[in-house]
Amino acid sequence: MSDIYTEGTEELILNMGPQHPSMHGVFRMIIRLQGEIVTSIEPKIGYLHRGLEKLAESRTYAQFIPYTDRLDYLASPHCNLAYVQTVEKLMGLEIPERAEYLRVIIAELARFASHQVFIASSALDMAGWTAWGYPFRDRERILDMFEMLAGNRLTVNVMRIGGINAEPPEEFWPALQSFVDDMPEKIEEYYNIYLGNEIAQARMKKIGILPKEVAENLSITGCALRASGVNYDVRKNEPYGIYDRFDFEVPVLHGCDTFDRNMVRLMEMNESLKIIRQAMRDIPEGPVMAKVPRVIKPPVGEVYHRVENPKGEMGFYIVSNGTTKPERVKIRAGAFVNLQCLEEIGVGTYVQDLIASFASLDAVLGEVDK
Amino acid sequence: MENKEILRKRVDELAARVNGKVEESLDFLVLTVQAPYITEVLTAVKNFEDVPCDFLHDIAGVDKLEHFEVVYHLTSLRGPQKLRVKAIVDREKPVIDSVVKIWAGANFMEREAYDMFGIEFTGHPNLRRIYMWDDFEGYPLRKDYVTEPPEVRDKMRVRKGED
Repeated sequence: MSDIYTEGTEELILNMGPQHPSMHGVFRMIIRLQGEIVTSIEPKIGYLHRGLEKLAESRTYAQFIPYTDRLDYLASPHCNLAYVQTVEKLMGLEIPERAEYLRVIIAELARFASHQVFIASSALDMAGWTAWGYPFRDRERILDMFEMLAGNRLTVNVMRIGGINAEPPEEFWPALQSFVDDMPEKIEEYYNIYLGNEIAQARMKKIGILPKEVAENLSITGCALRASGVNYDVRKNEPYGIYDRFDFEVPVLHGCDTFDRNMVRLMEMNESLKIIRQAMRDIPEGPVMAKVPRVIKPPVGEVYHRVENPKGEMGFYIVSNGTTKPERVKIRAGAFVNLQCLEEIGVGTYVQDLIASFASLDAVLGEVDK
Repeated sequence: MENKEILRKRVDELAARVNGKVEESLDFLVLTVQAPYITEVLTAVKNFEDVPCDFLHDIAGVDKLEHFEVVYHLTSLRGPQKLRVKAIVDREKPVIDSVVKIWAGANFMEREAYDMFGIEFTGHPNLRRIYMWDDFEGYPLRKDYVTEPPEVRDKMRVRKGED
């Protein structure tokens, strides 16, 4: 039987983006089609390029922190964390215990929020309108907590070199407690309404295969790597901050497909809650800022530090020349590198599957375009 | 032997072969070589016995005024080894071998370094600008790139005849 969907007539070049709801920002790809089968993908990025690395060279070390918020704006405290920890490592700065615990709590809340947006937008890309609403409803509570901490909801700017901006207000702790108590049920809800759904599973299973060897060769990190069967998480393998004190699992799945990349993130949300609970139990009293010199002047040298962002590993490479401004700041953005596997997972599938596969990479263009 | 010591030994052996310099910088071991050796070095590093540095993390260009550096951050998914390889590239004629054949993931990273510093990676399958538009002139992250001051920029934004 001839099939109009697979038996192509002539090649069609289709331009998707940069202004398109499924492009998660301003991503653009030029795809070639035979019938409805994708034969090649050419990603085009740079529509949101603001030259953050150039800007860093004309700002002092502390002035650059708010700019890092604009990298992965769905988990901005993580980008703050990556940057301030890099500078602290360069300066050899010890930060107070209480600040370390608060950083972990804030970072895991941000990871939770980021994965919620991921689940919502990923469902929406497959026309799951209902599943879009539920995670966004619960994400509001995290944003409210961020507002209590720093006054901002999206670009939180909460970390400082040497600690965090301020002691959390009193109403923060009950809000966090009730959030942690409520969420396990909600995660189940996300599963039932989205990933447990038969139609969603049929759309995602065995689609967008990214084999383990290919993923490693392409420098893929984060959830996409763990969904391809590699047990690697910077929080476990090279703990930064105080992550070595917490007891949590790293979810690893072996399906290598779009569904597993979704599922890994859902499972990670449970682990984030676990970490937050332990941090709430163990957090000591004390100051939230270390004694930091008024003018931050790291010694001459260079440093590379990486953290596990919700979107992949984020690394900062800072070259210092001993002045108040860095000589070079290189940002290794997880989503930027992860985008390279788009051709691997997209070619040979239908257009609609390509959209689902792209969504499963969880690219945020603020981070991709720097 | 400790992982770190084995890595140090392997890197020292390699450095002697390619006339490189080894030093330690915080938690990274740093190997500095001249650009023509880079393919040989990175192939050897990827296949180190016991301590393969087989995961390419990042490629960064750095402008050191008298020369460029291309900095490779290498780790492994199976061990704690961490290595930073620096290739010194001539500033007048910045050319270096591409490592896409060794790690396919170097594709975007090299394109970024090309876009920002104008470093040519020979053998790269698709060496075009990645962030800036194709007919953009200059390389923004070079230290001698002139960014116009705000007054000039504001003037440029006003279209001709609108004054």
